[in-house]
Amino acid sequence: MPPTFYMKKCTGCGLCDSICPADAIYMKEFEDTSVPYLKYPDECWHCGSCRQDCPEGAIEIQFPPDMLCI
Amino acid sequence: MELIDLSADVLIIGGGLAGTNAAMGAAEKGASVLVADKGNINRSGDIGGGVDHFLAFLNEGQEWDTQNAFLDYVEMIGRGTGHLSIIESVYCAELPDAIERMARIGNPLTQADGSFYRTQSMGQPGTYWINFNGKRLKPCLGKAVRKLGCTVLDKVMMVDLLTHQDAVVGGIGFHIRSGSFYILQTKATVIATGNTNRLYENPRINPFNTWLCPFDTGDGQIMALNAGAALTNMEYMRMTLLPKGFAAPGFNALVGMGGRFLNSLGEYYMEKHHPMGNRAPRYEVVYFTLEEIRKGHGPIYIDCRHLNENDLIHLETSLGYDKDTLPDYFEQRKEDLRTKPVEITVSEGMQAGPTEVTGSGIKIDKNSAATVPGLFACGDASDHNRCVHGAVTGGYKAGKSAATYAKGLTHGDGAPKSIIREEIDRFMKPLHRPSGYPYRQIEDAIRKIMAEHVGPMRTEGSLKCGLEKLQRIESYLDEMKATNFHELMRAHETRSILSVGKVMATTALFRTESRNKPYHHRLDFPDTDNTNWCGLVVFRKDGDRLSCSFEPTT
Repeated sequence: MPPTFYMKKCTGCGLCDSICPADAIYMKEFEDTSVPYLKYPDECWHCGSCRQDCPEGAIEIQFPPDMLCI
Repeated sequence: MELIDLSADVLIIGGGLAGTNAAMGAAEKGASVLVADKGNINRSGDIGGGVDHFLAFLNEGQEWDTQNAFLDYVEMIGRGTGHLSIIESVYCAELPDAIERMARIGNPLTQADGSFYRTQSMGQPGTYWINFNGKRLKPCLGKAVRKLGCTVLDKVMMVDLLTHQDAVVGGIGFHIRSGSFYILQTKATVIATGNTNRLYENPRINPFNTWLCPFDTGDGQIMALNAGAALTNMEYMRMTLLPKGFAAPGFNALVGMGGRFLNSLGEYYMEKHHPMGNRAPRYEVVYFTLEEIRKGHGPIYIDCRHLNENDLIHLETSLGYDKDTLPDYFEQRKEDLRTKPVEITVSEGMQAGPTEVTGSGIKIDKNSAATVPGLFACGDASDHNRCVHGAVTGGYKAGKSAATYAKGLTHGDGAPKSIIREEIDRFMKPLHRPSGYPYRQIEDAIRKIMAEHVGPMRTEGSLKCGLEKLQRIESYLDEMKATNFHELMRAHETRSILSVGKVMATTALFRTESRNKPYHHRLDFPDTDNTNWCGLVVFRKDGDRLSCSFEPTT
């Protein structure tokens, strides 16, 4: 279920939430900071927009087993 | 619920490649512009993550590189599916400006040295594909649209058009996060919402794993139909070939560079079946691939091992332009173009143009105007000028035409407020039901019915059975439950998908021949009949009455 967020790099800017065409990425509060999470993983189109636009390089793409194995 | 009233000269519904070009066209003509998109126009639509191809004749000296030769090519692969006069007055006339505009906004179609990198596939007589790096094209377009002063409504789903005295006078929609309801009163409206996906059962399990954008669900076509506009070419079920587990585009690049289709017997089957071999028109490649699979010659592969080092390097460099994550996919699946063929498969079906150069959707004229006053259409939502080249040229044309129409009105009469309020309540109902079915349950059934009865092997019996089942599932639409505005958006998409399915089955039943097989393959009328069917099936809705008619192409 891509994308994967690396919280050590993420600054919580919310750009991925803003541009995700699936409306799949949302922000939530965690330990007094705002962090992204994938609310609708099944609806990701794997377009890579979030990874391309992330200013911190905090997003990686990992394809799920069904897509890699069928 | 917050109600937000806005007015402008022109409303653009859908801010993908066609919609952003339409916004530019309208704004550069001096119109005030609203753009509404379910996503963010910086990354929404089919090419949000990037694109690598643009189809063009460039008059660089070869005899196939002229407008006349291009139109001959359209006639050859798309006979009976489009009016050459509309392609000529929109795509051909707008092409030089479009190429210049892409450079002006910061994403040129050229390589670093200023040259065009051109490749050939899909029945083309020469190298009509310009291969380019379009990974920043949407961010550049988004920036250009905002810089022109257009009001951009990101994350707003439009659900209906407003009409008054038989003209379209804007639209209504809601914000998919806050639920704020927008009443947009405009003199002209452009629909640029793409084709219809999530319509057929998906061979890769997940219905969102689609070739074209899975958030394009035919909303614009159905809004236009309900406002009285005609649709054409809706019977064609478009398909393509894709990597087995990932519906990533890349076919153009692989075949354009010389990739060969291979079956499990080790035969390069397209070279046996078609005089143009691997570079045959897309529908022919899909047709013969389906035949190979039926004969038990699957799995099917694309073989690039024979390509020379320079071509392989170009391919490896540019493969992620069209789908940013395709190189990651190949790496994680342990595919290597250099050492082994890559397994591919036939994609899911979708409502989209029967060729790259002829469309399916809202019927437009030489000015990109629909058949209802005040309404215009472009890109994959319109019946001419689709695909990347068509969206850039046709979008800009539709925007200009809408601006001209708006300026010609002495005053714009809006729809009465009382009617709008009733409409708003109607569109919010799934949120207020105490219980009901999730959209996905209804949508899965639609996809199953479409695949089994309205698919690539159609007959009168199968289509009638499909229509009956679609009507049965329609009775459950008013029992869908949404728990938030995101789900409300999906529920409205499900409605559009079902409506498109019904239109497709009805028009496929009407056309008693086969054309561009397997996109419209009637097993009971397997031949192409150019005497009686060389033209478009026009679909209209007049109140509750649905009608099909035939319009010959000229």
